[in-house]
Amino acid sequence: MVEMRETKRKPGVCIPWEEKLEELPEITGDKELVKKVWEDVDALGYVYIWQCLLSF
Amino acid sequence: MAKDMEQLYGERLKRYVTAMRNEKPDMVPIRPFVAEFTAKYAGYTCQEVTHDYEKAFAAARKCAADFDWDAVVSNMVYVWTGLTEAIGTKYYAVPGIHIPPNIGFQYLEPAEEEAFMKADEYDALTEDPTGFLYNVWLPRVSSDVRAMGQETSFRNNLSFLKGGMAMLSYFSAFGVQNERLRKESGTVSAIAGILKAPFDIIADKLRGYLGLVTDVLERPKKVLAACEALMPHLLHVALSGADPDKNVPIGFWMHRGCVPFVSMEHFEKFFWPTLKPIIEELWKRGHQVLFYAEGNWNAHLNAFGGLPDGAIVYHVDQADIFEAHKAIGQKFCLSGGIPNVLLSYGTADEVRAECKRVIDGVAGDGGYIMDASAIVQDDAKVENIRAMTEFTREYGVY
Repeated sequence: MVEMRETKRKPGVCIPWEEKLEELPEITGDKELVKKVWEDVDALGYVYIWQCLLSF
Repeated sequence: MAKDMEQLYGERLKRYVTAMRNEKPDMVPIRPFVAEFTAKYAGYTCQEVTHDYEKAFAAARKCAADFDWDAVVSNMVYVWTGLTEAIGTKYYAVPGIHIPPNIGFQYLEPAEEEAFMKADEYDALTEDPTGFLYNVWLPRVSSDVRAMGQETSFRNNLSFLKGGMAMLSYFSAFGVQNERLRKESGTVSAIAGILKAPFDIIADKLRGYLGLVTDVLERPKKVLAACEALMPHLLHVALSGADPDKNVPIGFWMHRGCVPFVSMEHFEKFFWPTLKPIIEELWKRGHQVLFYAEGNWNAHLNAFGGLPDGAIVYHVDQADIFEAHKAIGQKFCLSGGIPNVLLSYGTADEVRAECKRVIDGVAGDGGYIMDASAIVQDDAKVENIRAMTEFTREYGVY
């Protein structure tokens, strides 16, 4: 049986938080909040393209 | 009244889930995958239910209210062509636009040389499937989306905005639809989430069937690597849409990965090894998968029988359901097996006789769900669907 192969962009991710973080100034507020909201909204971009492929 | 519907819903959910766990419920559940049939019954054209999802939802609710069905798909005419037209999707023939309004929507597979992915692009797909889909695939399947390096356009920008907003609107409406099915007719939403096999999706939307069957001979390692790269993504998508209560299964639509579309050797080398781990992982997390085995997959029952007991519900289309029952009926619930041609051209008495034959042959110990063989379109006679329903209710009591 084969193994699932790791890909450049992980499942559920279009632009990784780590990549976005490098573009931001130092976060003086709640960093985890910024990260969570970035990842939640980024995941919608992932849903869009994979649903285009699978469902439409 | 509301309490009665909730009670009915509870009874139906229990019946449906019990059968799917390959156990014996109080009676044979009925879960017809009715698509354009709902339009015919509710008085809509194929164009109306394909292009206006609110009409599709209304048609599904009307059928659910009028027939004594335990579960239905909230909208089996799943492809909302309002969305696909908004983003300029090229591979559909839309009722009322490209084909007559009373013909169901059609998939258009491009000629081999015009496939949406080229033979030398496997490495790019394998390295970064999500990037490939956005940067290479989408501009090819959409008349509006511009490729990387091309001059952008107003329509390119609008395609993403309109497509994203439309998808959000459509998916959000399913929650309301499921609640209305529950409250208005006590009907269970039959499936949640979507899965396709890595091998199938390469044929369906990327290389085309002819391209892929050439590739398995000319570049087999690259095909396998691409399938492996798609696996974690297809697993993720399946999980993201799955039923959080783990009652209803993930719909798995099986296309051209079986004999004779591919050889047994290629099934065993590409299709199954890159699908089985996904099914096993889903089951490990408590999610059943509904194998919608379109066509005839009986050549592969031995492979499917290697899955853990109860991991799947196996839907039989054109294959011999009695053979399937004999091979895997001890492990998995079966559904389907009532030929669509009979529902379209047979008499109600013939339908009742076939339902009796199937119930007698495969439902004796539970673990069977009544349904047509394939998705029911507008050629099915209303009286035959009614005969299938009423006979099963009368005869299918344990």
